Amino acid sequence: MIEVKNISKSFNNNHVLKNVSADFVPGKISMVIGKSGSGKTVLLKSVIGLHTPDEGEIFFDKREFTKANMKFKRQIRQEIGMVFQGGALFTSSNIEDNIRFPLDLFTNMTKTEKKKRVDFCLERVNMEDSNKLFPAEISGGMQKRVSIARAIVLNPKYLFCDEPNSGLDPQTAILIDRLIKEITAEYNTTTIVNTHDMNSVIEIADNIYFIHEGQKWWEGGRDDIFYSDNKELNDFVFASDLYKKIKALAK
Amino acid sequence: MFTIIGKYFVLMGNVFTKPVRPSIFFKRVLDEIEQIGVDSLWIVAIVSIFMGAVLTLQVAINFEAPYIPKYLIGLSARDTMILEFSSTIICLILAGKVGSNIASEIGTMRITEQIDALEIMGVNSAGYLILPKMIAAFLTFPVLNILSIILGIFGGYAVASFTDTVMVYDYLYGLNYAFVPFYVTYSLIKICVFSLIITSVSSFYGYYTYGGALEVGQSSTKAVVYSIILILLFNLILTQLLLT
Repeated sequence: MIEVKNISKSFNNNHVLKNVSADFVPGKISMVIGKSGSGKTVLLKSVIGLHTPDEGEIFFDKREFTKANMKFKRQIRQEIGMVFQGGALFTSSNIEDNIRFPLDLFTNMTKTEKKKRVDFCLERVNMEDSNKLFPAEISGGMQKRVSIARAIVLNPKYLFCDEPNSGLDPQTAILIDRLIKEITAEYNTTTIVNTHDMNSVIEIADNIYFIHEGQKWWEGGRDDIFYSDNKELNDFVFASDLYKKIKALAK
Repeated sequence: MFTIIGKYFVLMGNVFTKPVRPSIFFKRVLDEIEQIGVDSLWIVAIVSIFMGAVLTLQVAINFEAPYIPKYLIGLSARDTMILEFSSTIICLILAGKVGSNIASEIGTMRITEQIDALEIMGVNSAGYLILPKMIAAFLTFPVLNILSIILGIFGGYAVASFTDTVMVYDYLYGLNYAFVPFYVTYSLIKICVFSLIITSVSSFYGYYTYGGALEVGQSSTKAVVYSIILILLFNLILTQLLLT
Protein backbone atom coordinates (compact mmCIF):
# COMPACT_ATOMS: atom_id res chain seq x y z
CA MET A 1 0.00 0.00 0.00
CA ILE A 2 1.20 3.50 -0.79
CA GLU A 3 0.11 6.29 1.51
CA VAL A 4 0.49 9.87 0.37
CA LYS A 5 0.00 12.35 3.20
CA ASN A 6 -0.47 16.06 2.61
CA ILE A 7 2.19 16.55 -0.02
CA SER A 8 2.84 19.95 -1.56
CA LYS A 9 5.26 20.90 -4.26
CA SER A 10 6.11 24.20 -5.86
CA PHE A 11 8.49 25.31 -8.59
CA ASN A 12 9.69 28.94 -8.45
CA ASN A 13 6.76 29.97 -6.21
CA ASN A 14 4.30 28.25 -8.55
CA HIS A 15 2.35 25.87 -6.29
CA VAL A 16 1.83 22.81 -8.44
CA LEU A 17 0.62 20.45 -5.71
CA LYS A 18 -1.30 21.61 -2.66
CA ASN A 19 -1.79 19.34 0.29
CA VAL A 20 -2.65 16.19 -1.64
CA SER A 21 -3.39 12.97 0.25
CA ALA A 22 -4.30 9.57 -1.13
CA ASP A 23 -4.11 5.89 -0.26
CA PHE A 24 -3.26 3.53 -3.11
CA VAL A 25 -4.18 -0.04 -2.29
CA PRO A 26 -2.70 -3.33 -3.56
CA GLY A 27 -4.53 -5.30 -6.23
CA LYS A 28 -6.43 -2.23 -7.37
CA ILE A 29 -5.88 0.22 -10.19
CA SER A 30 -5.85 3.80 -8.95
CA MET A 31 -6.19 6.34 -11.73
CA VAL A 32 -5.09 9.91 -11.41
CA ILE A 33 -6.91 12.13 -13.85
CA GLY A 34 -6.88 15.84 -14.55
CA LYS A 35 -6.25 18.46 -17.19
CA SER A 36 -2.78 19.07 -18.60
CA GLY A 37 -0.86 21.14 -16.08
CA SER A 38 -3.13 20.14 -13.19
CA GLY A 39 -0.21 18.53 -11.33
CA LYS A 40 -0.84 14.83 -11.84
CA THR A 41 2.58 14.10 -13.37
CA VAL A 42 4.26 16.04 -10.54
CA LEU A 43 2.22 13.93 -8.10
CA LEU A 44 3.38 10.71 -9.75
CA LYS A 45 7.01 11.86 -9.92
CA SER A 46 6.85 12.95 -6.27
CA VAL A 47 5.54 9.54 -5.21
CA ILE A 48 8.39 7.74 -6.97
CA GLY A 49 10.95 10.24 -5.74
CA LEU A 50 11.93 11.95 -8.99
CA HIS A 51 10.70 15.16 -7.32
CA THR A 52 11.15 15.87 -3.63
CA PRO A 53 7.94 17.25 -2.10
CA ASP A 54 8.24 20.52 -0.16
CA GLU A 55 5.90 19.17 2.50
CA GLY A 56 4.17 15.92 3.36
CA GLU A 57 5.09 12.29 3.60
CA ILE A 58 4.92 9.19 1.43
CA PHE A 59 4.92 5.65 2.81
CA PHE A 60 5.50 2.44 0.86
CA ASP A 61 4.00 -0.30 3.04
CA LYS A 62 4.65 1.81 6.16
CA ARG A 63 8.22 2.60 5.05
CA GLU A 64 8.88 6.34 5.02
CA PHE A 65 10.10 7.29 1.54
CA THR A 66 10.31 11.09 1.37
CA LYS A 67 12.98 11.57 4.02
CA ALA A 68 14.79 8.29 3.37
CA ASN A 69 18.40 8.36 2.20
CA MET A 70 19.24 7.59 -1.43
CA LYS A 71 20.41 4.05 -0.62
CA PHE A 72 17.05 3.18 0.96
CA LYS A 73 15.15 4.92 -1.83
CA ARG A 74 17.02 2.81 -4.39
CA GLN A 75 16.09 -0.34 -2.44
CA ILE A 76 12.41 0.61 -2.58
CA ARG A 77 12.70 1.54 -6.24
CA GLN A 78 13.78 -2.01 -7.01
CA GLU A 79 10.24 -2.97 -6.02
CA ILE A 80 8.77 -0.45 -8.47
CA GLY A 81 7.89 -1.04 -12.09
CA MET A 82 7.28 2.01 -14.23
CA VAL A 83 5.77 2.43 -17.66
CA PHE A 84 6.76 5.81 -19.05
CA GLN A 85 4.71 7.90 -21.45
CA GLY A 86 7.22 7.43 -24.26
CA GLY A 87 8.25 3.92 -23.23
CA ALA A 88 11.75 5.09 -22.16
CA LEU A 89 13.34 1.99 -23.66
CA PHE A 90 17.12 2.05 -24.02
CA THR A 91 17.47 2.80 -27.70
CA SER A 92 20.97 1.35 -28.02
CA SER A 93 19.87 -2.06 -26.70
CA ASN A 94 17.56 -4.62 -28.26
CA ILE A 95 14.30 -5.65 -26.66
CA GLU A 96 15.76 -8.66 -24.88
CA ASP A 97 18.57 -6.58 -23.37
CA ASN A 98 16.07 -3.91 -22.32
CA ILE A 99 13.97 -6.41 -20.40
CA ARG A 100 16.95 -8.34 -19.04
CA PHE A 101 18.60 -5.17 -17.72
CA PRO A 102 16.95 -5.18 -14.25
CA LEU A 103 17.67 -8.91 -13.95
CA ASP A 104 21.37 -8.31 -14.69
CA LEU A 105 21.50 -5.63 -12.04
CA PHE A 106 19.50 -7.06 -9.21
CA THR A 107 19.35 -10.84 -9.44
CA ASN A 108 21.78 -13.73 -9.36
CA MET A 109 19.95 -15.68 -12.05
CA THR A 110 21.89 -17.72 -14.58
CA LYS A 111 21.83 -16.77 -18.26
CA THR A 112 19.28 -19.49 -19.00
CA GLU A 113 17.01 -18.40 -16.17
CA LYS A 114 17.18 -14.80 -17.34
CA LYS A 115 16.37 -15.80 -20.91
CA LYS A 116 13.43 -17.84 -19.67
CA ARG A 117 12.15 -14.91 -17.60
CA VAL A 118 12.53 -12.46 -20.51
CA ASP A 119 10.68 -14.81 -22.83
CA PHE A 120 7.93 -15.24 -20.26
CA CYS A 121 7.50 -11.46 -19.89
CA LEU A 122 7.48 -10.97 -23.66
CA GLU A 123 4.90 -13.71 -24.01
CA ARG A 124 2.86 -12.06 -21.27
CA VAL A 125 2.60 -8.87 -23.37
CA ASN A 126 2.07 -10.79 -26.63
CA MET A 127 5.49 -9.90 -28.02
CA GLU A 128 6.99 -13.36 -28.51
CA ASP A 129 9.88 -13.71 -30.97
CA SER A 130 10.74 -10.02 -30.96
CA ASN A 131 13.79 -10.41 -28.68
CA LYS A 132 16.36 -9.21 -31.17
CA LEU A 133 14.48 -6.18 -32.51
CA PHE A 134 15.52 -2.66 -31.49
CA PRO A 135 13.06 -0.10 -30.08
CA ALA A 136 13.32 1.98 -33.28
CA GLU A 137 12.11 -1.03 -35.28
CA ILE A 138 8.79 -1.46 -33.48
CA SER A 139 5.60 0.63 -33.26
CA GLY A 140 4.63 2.91 -30.35
CA GLY A 141 2.11 0.38 -29.07
CA MET A 142 4.71 -2.39 -29.14
CA GLN A 143 7.18 -0.13 -27.31
CA LYS A 144 4.59 0.38 -24.57
CA ARG A 145 4.13 -3.37 -24.31
CA VAL A 146 7.89 -3.92 -24.07
CA SER A 147 7.97 -1.19 -21.44
CA ILE A 148 5.32 -3.10 -19.47
CA ALA A 149 7.33 -6.31 -19.87
CA ARG A 150 10.41 -4.54 -18.48
CA ALA A 151 8.34 -3.09 -15.63
CA ILE A 152 7.08 -6.51 -14.52
CA VAL A 153 10.27 -8.51 -14.99
CA LEU A 154 11.23 -8.25 -11.30
CA ASN A 155 7.66 -8.94 -10.09
CA PRO A 156 7.17 -5.41 -8.78
CA LYS A 157 5.03 -4.64 -5.76
CA TYR A 158 4.17 -1.24 -7.17
CA LEU A 159 3.37 -0.44 -10.79
CA PHE A 160 3.29 3.13 -12.08
CA CYS A 161 2.04 4.04 -15.53
CA ASP A 162 2.35 7.56 -16.91
CA GLU A 163 -0.20 8.04 -19.68
CA PRO A 164 0.21 4.50 -21.01
CA ASN A 165 -2.30 5.07 -23.82
CA SER A 166 -1.11 8.39 -25.17
CA GLY A 167 -0.57 8.30 -28.91
CA LEU A 168 -2.06 4.84 -29.35
CA ASP A 169 -4.99 3.77 -31.54
CA PRO A 170 -8.15 2.75 -29.62
CA GLN A 171 -7.64 -0.98 -30.14
CA THR A 172 -4.04 -0.94 -28.90
CA ALA A 173 -5.07 1.33 -26.02
CA ILE A 174 -7.67 -1.24 -24.92
CA LEU A 175 -5.03 -3.98 -25.20
CA ILE A 176 -2.67 -2.03 -22.94
CA ASP A 177 -5.49 -1.31 -20.46
CA ARG A 178 -6.41 -4.97 -20.22
CA LEU A 179 -2.76 -5.90 -19.77
CA ILE A 180 -2.42 -3.48 -16.85
CA LYS A 181 -5.62 -4.84 -15.31
CA GLU A 182 -4.51 -8.46 -15.67
CA ILE A 183 -1.04 -7.77 -14.28
CA THR A 184 -2.47 -5.88 -11.30
CA ALA A 185 -4.74 -8.79 -10.45
CA GLU A 186 -2.11 -11.45 -11.18
CA TYR A 187 0.72 -9.93 -9.09
CA ASN A 188 -1.47 -8.02 -6.62
CA THR A 189 0.47 -4.85 -7.42
CA THR A 190 -0.40 -1.42 -6.17
CA THR A 191 -1.02 0.19 -9.54
CA ILE A 192 -1.19 3.93 -10.15
CA VAL A 193 -2.03 5.17 -13.63
CA ASN A 194 -1.88 8.77 -14.80
CA THR A 195 -4.21 9.28 -17.70
CA HIS A 196 -6.27 11.63 -19.85
CA ASP A 197 -8.03 8.75 -21.49
CA MET A 198 -11.61 8.46 -20.27
CA ASN A 199 -12.04 5.12 -22.01
CA SER A 200 -9.30 3.73 -19.74
CA VAL A 201 -10.94 5.24 -16.69
CA ILE A 202 -14.28 3.64 -17.47
CA GLU A 203 -12.69 0.38 -18.58
CA ILE A 204 -10.26 -0.46 -15.76
CA ALA A 205 -10.19 2.10 -12.93
CA ASP A 206 -10.95 0.87 -9.42
CA ASN A 207 -10.29 4.17 -7.66
CA ILE A 208 -10.16 7.57 -9.32
CA TYR A 209 -8.42 10.70 -8.08
CA PHE A 210 -9.28 13.90 -9.91
CA ILE A 211 -6.56 16.55 -9.60
CA HIS A 212 -7.59 20.13 -10.27
CA GLU A 213 -5.29 23.14 -9.88
CA GLY A 214 -2.88 21.07 -7.82
CA GLN A 215 -5.49 19.82 -5.37
CA LYS A 216 -7.28 16.53 -4.98
CA TRP A 217 -10.68 17.75 -6.10
CA TRP A 218 -12.60 14.51 -6.13
CA GLU A 219 -12.10 10.86 -5.22
CA GLY A 220 -14.31 7.90 -5.90
CA GLY A 221 -14.99 4.67 -7.75
CA ARG A 222 -15.60 4.07 -11.43
CA ASP A 223 -19.38 4.09 -11.04
CA ASP A 224 -19.43 7.11 -8.72
CA ILE A 225 -18.11 9.27 -11.53
CA PHE A 226 -21.46 9.07 -13.34
CA TYR A 227 -23.41 10.35 -10.37
CA SER A 228 -21.10 13.07 -9.14
CA ASP A 229 -22.28 16.67 -9.12
CA ASN A 230 -18.74 18.02 -8.96
CA LYS A 231 -18.73 20.67 -11.67
CA GLU A 232 -15.01 20.61 -12.49
CA LEU A 233 -15.01 16.82 -12.62
CA ASN A 234 -18.03 16.75 -14.92
CA ASP A 235 -16.55 19.43 -17.15
CA PHE A 236 -13.38 17.34 -17.48
CA VAL A 237 -14.79 13.83 -17.77
CA PHE A 238 -17.91 14.57 -19.75
CA ALA A 239 -16.43 17.14 -22.10
CA SER A 240 -17.49 15.31 -25.25
CA ASP A 241 -21.10 14.92 -26.43
CA LEU A 242 -20.70 11.15 -26.38
CA TYR A 243 -19.79 11.09 -22.71
CA LYS A 244 -22.58 13.56 -21.89
CA LYS A 245 -25.01 11.09 -23.45
CA ILE A 246 -23.44 8.19 -21.57
CA LYS A 247 -23.79 10.12 -18.31
CA ALA A 248 -27.44 10.92 -19.08
CA LEU A 249 -28.10 7.25 -19.84
CA ALA A 250 -26.33 6.18 -16.66
CA LYS A 251 -28.45 8.53 -14.60
CA MET B 1 27.77 30.80 -12.52
CA PHE B 2 28.26 29.55 -8.94
CA THR B 3 25.04 27.53 -9.23
CA ILE B 4 26.41 25.77 -12.31
CA ILE B 5 29.74 25.05 -10.60
CA GLY B 6 27.87 23.75 -7.53
CA LYS B 7 25.64 21.52 -9.67
CA TYR B 8 28.73 20.23 -11.50
CA PHE B 9 30.41 19.16 -8.25
CA VAL B 10 27.21 17.63 -6.88
CA LEU B 11 26.94 15.59 -10.09
CA MET B 12 30.59 14.54 -9.81
CA GLY B 13 29.88 13.48 -6.21
CA ASN B 14 27.13 11.21 -7.54
CA VAL B 15 29.35 9.94 -10.34
CA PHE B 16 31.97 8.71 -7.88
CA THR B 17 29.59 6.86 -5.58
CA LYS B 18 29.46 3.06 -5.60
CA PRO B 19 28.86 1.83 -9.17
CA VAL B 20 26.56 -0.97 -10.33
CA ARG B 21 27.71 -4.61 -10.38
CA PRO B 22 31.41 -4.86 -11.33
CA SER B 23 30.72 -7.16 -14.32
CA ILE B 24 28.18 -4.73 -15.81
CA PHE B 25 30.39 -1.76 -15.01
CA PHE B 26 33.39 -3.41 -16.70
CA LYS B 27 31.32 -4.10 -19.82
CA ARG B 28 30.18 -0.46 -19.85
CA VAL B 29 33.82 0.70 -19.65
CA LEU B 30 34.78 -1.57 -22.57
CA ASP B 31 31.87 -0.25 -24.65
CA GLU B 32 32.93 3.31 -23.92
CA ILE B 33 36.58 2.56 -24.73
CA GLU B 34 35.39 1.49 -28.16
CA GLN B 35 33.10 4.49 -28.62
CA ILE B 36 35.36 7.17 -27.16
CA GLY B 37 38.85 5.85 -27.89
CA VAL B 38 38.83 3.37 -30.77
CA ASP B 39 36.33 5.37 -32.84
CA SER B 40 38.54 8.45 -32.49
CA LEU B 41 41.64 6.71 -33.84
CA TRP B 42 41.03 7.62 -37.48
CA ILE B 43 40.49 11.34 -36.90
CA VAL B 44 43.54 11.56 -34.63
CA ALA B 45 45.64 9.65 -37.17
CA ILE B 46 44.58 11.73 -40.18
CA VAL B 47 44.95 15.09 -38.41
CA SER B 48 48.32 14.15 -36.88
CA ILE B 49 49.91 12.89 -40.11
CA PHE B 50 48.84 15.94 -42.11
CA MET B 51 49.66 18.46 -39.38
CA GLY B 52 53.08 16.86 -38.84
CA ALA B 53 53.74 17.11 -42.57
CA VAL B 54 52.51 20.69 -42.89
CA LEU B 55 54.41 21.75 -39.78
CA THR B 56 57.65 20.35 -41.19
CA LEU B 57 57.07 22.04 -44.54
CA GLN B 58 56.30 25.42 -42.97
CA VAL B 59 59.28 25.31 -40.63
CA ALA B 60 61.54 24.26 -43.51
CA ILE B 61 60.30 27.15 -45.67
CA ASN B 62 60.89 29.65 -42.85
CA PHE B 63 64.34 28.26 -41.95
CA GLU B 64 65.93 29.23 -45.25
CA ALA B 65 68.74 31.32 -43.74
CA PRO B 66 72.04 29.41 -44.11
CA TYR B 67 73.13 30.05 -40.52
CA ILE B 68 70.13 28.17 -39.08
CA PRO B 69 70.98 24.46 -38.77
CA LYS B 70 68.55 22.30 -40.78
CA TYR B 71 68.23 19.73 -38.01
CA LEU B 72 66.17 22.30 -36.09
CA ILE B 73 63.30 21.46 -38.48
CA GLY B 74 63.08 17.93 -37.06
CA LEU B 75 63.54 19.22 -33.52
CA SER B 76 60.77 21.81 -33.84
CA ALA B 77 58.42 19.27 -35.44
CA ARG B 78 59.08 16.83 -32.58
CA ASP B 79 58.70 19.37 -29.77
CA THR B 80 55.62 21.01 -31.27
CA MET B 81 53.93 17.62 -31.60
CA ILE B 82 54.87 16.56 -28.07
CA LEU B 83 54.34 19.82 -26.23
CA GLU B 84 51.19 21.24 -27.79
CA PHE B 85 49.73 19.51 -30.79
CA SER B 86 49.25 15.93 -29.61
CA SER B 87 47.84 16.96 -26.27
CA THR B 88 46.11 20.36 -26.53
CA ILE B 89 45.12 20.58 -30.20
CA ILE B 90 44.07 16.92 -30.36
CA CYS B 91 41.93 17.47 -27.26
CA LEU B 92 40.31 20.53 -28.83
CA ILE B 93 39.39 18.29 -31.77
CA LEU B 94 38.20 15.51 -29.42
CA ALA B 95 36.13 18.05 -27.47
CA GLY B 96 34.20 18.53 -30.69
CA LYS B 97 33.93 14.88 -31.62
CA VAL B 98 33.66 13.08 -28.28
CA GLY B 99 32.21 15.97 -26.23
CA SER B 100 29.29 16.67 -28.54
CA ASN B 101 28.62 12.96 -28.84
CA ILE B 102 28.50 12.49 -25.05
CA ALA B 103 26.30 15.56 -24.47
CA SER B 104 23.82 14.62 -27.18
CA GLU B 105 23.70 10.96 -26.10
CA ILE B 106 23.04 11.74 -22.43
CA GLY B 107 20.80 14.70 -23.32
CA THR B 108 18.64 12.48 -25.53
CA MET B 109 18.47 9.89 -22.76
CA ARG B 110 17.30 12.65 -20.42
CA ILE B 111 14.52 14.03 -22.62
CA THR B 112 13.27 10.55 -23.56
CA GLU B 113 13.06 9.65 -19.84
CA GLN B 114 15.68 6.89 -20.12
CA ILE B 115 17.60 8.45 -17.22
CA ASP B 116 14.39 8.58 -15.15
CA ALA B 117 13.88 4.91 -16.04
CA LEU B 118 17.35 4.07 -14.70
CA GLU B 119 16.64 5.99 -11.48
CA ILE B 120 13.30 4.24 -11.02
CA MET B 121 15.04 0.90 -11.39
CA GLY B 122 17.23 1.90 -8.44
CA VAL B 123 20.33 2.61 -10.53
CA ASN B 124 22.64 5.54 -9.80
CA SER B 125 22.23 6.99 -13.29
CA ALA B 126 25.14 9.44 -12.98
CA GLY B 127 27.56 6.72 -11.96
CA TYR B 128 26.21 4.26 -14.50
CA LEU B 129 26.35 6.63 -17.46
CA ILE B 130 29.20 9.05 -16.73
CA LEU B 131 31.90 7.19 -14.79
CA PRO B 132 32.58 4.60 -17.54
CA LYS B 133 33.00 7.45 -20.04
CA MET B 134 35.48 9.23 -17.78
CA ILE B 135 37.49 6.05 -17.16
CA ALA B 136 37.43 5.15 -20.87
CA ALA B 137 38.70 8.60 -21.89
CA PHE B 138 41.31 8.60 -19.12
CA LEU B 139 42.65 5.26 -20.38
CA THR B 140 42.46 5.84 -24.13
CA PHE B 141 43.40 9.51 -24.57
CA PRO B 142 47.05 8.95 -23.51
CA VAL B 143 47.24 6.18 -26.14
CA LEU B 144 45.84 8.60 -28.72
CA ASN B 145 48.41 11.14 -27.53
CA ILE B 146 51.35 8.81 -28.12
CA LEU B 147 49.88 7.70 -31.44
CA SER B 148 49.48 11.32 -32.50
CA ILE B 149 53.11 12.13 -31.62
CA ILE B 150 54.38 9.14 -33.60
CA LEU B 151 52.17 9.82 -36.63
CA GLY B 152 52.90 13.55 -36.62
CA ILE B 153 56.62 12.87 -36.63
CA PHE B 154 56.04 10.29 -39.36
CA GLY B 155 54.19 12.96 -41.40
CA GLY B 156 57.27 15.16 -41.16
CA TYR B 157 59.47 12.22 -42.13
CA ALA B 158 57.29 11.65 -45.21
CA VAL B 159 57.82 15.29 -46.21
CA ALA B 160 61.57 14.87 -45.75
CA SER B 161 61.51 11.68 -47.83
CA PHE B 162 59.37 12.87 -50.72
CA THR B 163 60.35 16.55 -51.04
CA ASP B 164 63.64 18.40 -51.13
CA THR B 165 62.75 20.89 -48.39
CA VAL B 166 64.76 19.02 -45.76
CA MET B 167 67.21 16.13 -45.87
CA VAL B 168 66.06 12.93 -44.18
CA TYR B 169 69.36 12.80 -42.28
CA ASP B 170 68.86 16.35 -40.92
CA TYR B 171 65.29 15.59 -39.95
CA LEU B 172 66.25 12.40 -38.09
CA TYR B 173 69.19 14.13 -36.43
CA GLY B 174 66.85 16.89 -35.25
CA LEU B 175 64.42 14.33 -33.85
CA ASN B 176 67.17 12.92 -31.63
CA TYR B 177 68.77 16.25 -30.77
CA ALA B 178 68.31 17.63 -27.22
CA PHE B 179 65.38 15.37 -26.44
CA VAL B 180 63.78 16.06 -23.05
CA PRO B 181 61.88 12.93 -21.91
CA PHE B 182 59.88 14.96 -19.39
CA TYR B 183 58.08 16.66 -22.30
CA VAL B 184 56.33 13.35 -22.99
CA THR B 185 55.33 13.05 -19.34
CA TYR B 186 54.08 16.66 -19.44
CA SER B 187 52.06 15.89 -22.57
CA LEU B 188 50.56 12.76 -20.98
CA ILE B 189 49.65 14.60 -17.77
CA LYS B 190 47.91 17.29 -19.80
CA ILE B 191 45.89 14.86 -21.90
CA CYS B 192 44.79 12.92 -18.80
CA VAL B 193 43.46 16.15 -17.26
CA PHE B 194 41.84 17.19 -20.55
CA SER B 195 40.18 13.77 -20.91
CA LEU B 196 38.42 14.29 -17.57
CA ILE B 197 37.44 17.84 -18.53
CA ILE B 198 35.90 16.78 -21.86
CA THR B 199 33.94 13.82 -20.48
CA SER B 200 32.76 15.42 -17.24
CA VAL B 201 31.76 18.80 -18.73
CA SER B 202 29.99 17.18 -21.69
CA SER B 203 28.22 14.71 -19.42
CA PHE B 204 27.18 17.56 -17.13
CA TYR B 205 25.54 19.52 -19.95
CA GLY B 206 23.89 16.37 -21.30
CA TYR B 207 22.65 15.26 -17.89
CA TYR B 208 20.97 18.58 -17.16
CA THR B 209 19.23 18.91 -20.51
CA TYR B 210 15.55 19.77 -20.21
CA GLY B 211 13.13 20.24 -23.07
CA GLY B 212 13.37 18.70 -26.50
CA ALA B 213 15.62 18.17 -29.49
CA LEU B 214 16.52 21.88 -29.68
CA GLU B 215 17.79 21.85 -26.10
CA VAL B 216 19.85 18.73 -26.80
CA GLY B 217 21.57 20.65 -29.61
CA GLN B 218 22.15 23.62 -27.30
CA SER B 219 23.61 21.35 -24.61
CA SER B 220 25.90 19.80 -27.15
CA THR B 221 27.16 23.22 -28.26
CA LYS B 222 27.66 24.37 -24.65
CA ALA B 223 29.54 21.15 -23.88
CA VAL B 224 32.01 21.76 -26.70
CA VAL B 225 32.45 25.49 -26.01
CA TYR B 226 33.01 25.11 -22.26
CA SER B 227 35.26 22.07 -22.72
CA ILE B 228 37.44 24.08 -25.10
CA ILE B 229 37.61 27.07 -22.76
CA LEU B 230 38.54 24.84 -19.81
CA ILE B 231 41.14 22.97 -21.86
CA LEU B 232 42.82 26.24 -22.80
CA LEU B 233 42.68 27.48 -19.21
CA PHE B 234 44.11 24.26 -17.77
CA ASN B 235 46.72 24.17 -20.52
CA LEU B 236 48.02 27.48 -19.24
CA ILE B 237 47.85 26.39 -15.59
CA LEU B 238 49.56 23.03 -16.20
CA THR B 239 52.27 24.58 -18.35
CA GLN B 240 52.99 27.12 -15.64
CA LEU B 241 53.07 24.38 -12.99
CA LEU B 242 55.04 21.74 -14.88
CA LEU B 243 57.41 23.56 -17.20
CA THR B 244 58.45 26.76 -15.45
